[in-house]
Amino acid sequence: MANWVPLWLHKLGSPPIFYRFAGVVRPWALALAILAALAALYGGLVLAPADYQQGDAYRIIFIHVPSAWMSLFIYGAMAVAAFVGLVWRIKIAEVVAMESAPIGAAFTFITLVTGSLWGKPMWGTWWTWDARLTSELVLLFLYLGVIGLYHSFEDRRQGARAASFLALIGIVNVPIVHFSVNWWNTLHQGSTVRILGPSHIEMSMLWPLLTMMLATKLYYIASLFARVRADLIATESGKDWVRAIALAENGDRP
Amino acid sequence: MTPGSTSAACAALFRRDLTLAWRRRGDIAMPVLYAVIVTTLFPFALGPEAALLARISGGVVLVTVLLAILLALDSLFRSDIDDGSLEQLMLAPQPLALLLGVKILAHWLTAAAPLIVVAPVLASMLRMPANVIPALIAALVLATPLLSLLGAVLVALTAGTRRSGMLLALMLLPLCVPVVIFAAGAVAAAQEGLPWVAPIAWLGAALALALVLAPMACAAALRIAMDA
Repeated sequence: MANWVPLWLHKLGSPPIFYRFAGVVRPWALALAILAALAALYGGLVLAPADYQQGDAYRIIFIHVPSAWMSLFIYGAMAVAAFVGLVWRIKIAEVVAMESAPIGAAFTFITLVTGSLWGKPMWGTWWTWDARLTSELVLLFLYLGVIGLYHSFEDRRQGARAASFLALIGIVNVPIVHFSVNWWNTLHQGSTVRILGPSHIEMSMLWPLLTMMLATKLYYIASLFARVRADLIATESGKDWVRAIALAENGDRP
Repeated sequence: MTPGSTSAACAALFRRDLTLAWRRRGDIAMPVLYAVIVTTLFPFALGPEAALLARISGGVVLVTVLLAILLALDSLFRSDIDDGSLEQLMLAPQPLALLLGVKILAHWLTAAAPLIVVAPVLASMLRMPANVIPALIAALVLATPLLSLLGAVLVALTAGTRRSGMLLALMLLPLCVPVVIFAAGAVAAAQEGLPWVAPIAWLGAALALALVLAPMACAAALRIAMDA
């Protein structure tokens, strides 16, 4: 039985090792994210044909849909990290959960803005109280609540634990909100891309979409690791390993 | 009831909270006064046209009651944190979730129950037809304890922080969206003469779930927030 995987994960829970690991991974993730995003934008804006119904206006899908996927994906990742942090009291998991929240909020905001830009020519309105739009707005408020609660505590670890608990309440709440607003009102088109069964999308439009999804995932990793590194340096500033790094970067000046 | 048993502790806590609330009767009147003031402002802002007021009356009364409860929620644990009795409650041998459930019940009786009493008056001021009032009361009877339970979890989470009314509102909004939708859905259905039992049943199901889960979540949140 290969037991290096649990051993490696166990070691990754230590702040100095995670700091070094994140420092190695981050530039690669960022470079690949930029490459994938450029390829996806070229494929989506230049190679893909115009839509028979929406013309060129549909091309905002290559930003809108990957952002919408990321807004939910990051919430899921944050909730998993929050759960791990609360149950096993792993400091790295708490930091990952808390530093995911602003990135997720940014993707949610991008989704709302691009959706509103797309809605104006297609539906003739910037905003409508449709089920998906409302759920996305509620998701933004959930993110903002987590961020706000984290920063309202004097002690960062205590704030992280309280905000992690709020993130877990939120993940129970998201399906309830989605179901209830669906019952209330709906206008948004159904999903076009499906994991199971055939997608309702042409191949030349699908591959840029999936490449952009990959790019946003990689960007999330790069951004998250940069934020976690900064957070670790700040919270662990009294520890020896931070002093060693500071001395190495500053020469011998204290 | 033997002294020190769980039921005796719950009864004592319930009596203590009601006594404290009764000694500060002015605080009980505040949410009601707030609801009256907000409801009075709507006709001034929208004009006294009866048809328009009747159309919006259900939503206005529900949102006003929700805001009044939000205003009152802050006082749920405030005095107990200030004088240290919340720590004693957490150290007590009785299950914390049960004790918190009793506290939430006492708070609901003093803060939300007066709002339910005054809601039909407010709705009538906004020209709500008399046959809709039963639906409104049914929706409020189920929605207000639900809001108190959900709000208590969030108040417990902010227990260790400085005063944070805006933060509480931001955190409560996603949780209260389904409650508002179903409560307002029942009132709107009644106004159109449709059967309104289905949304009320959803509210009842949610309340049953929250009655079991929310005190436990509240206890867990309090242990996190007070763990300094």
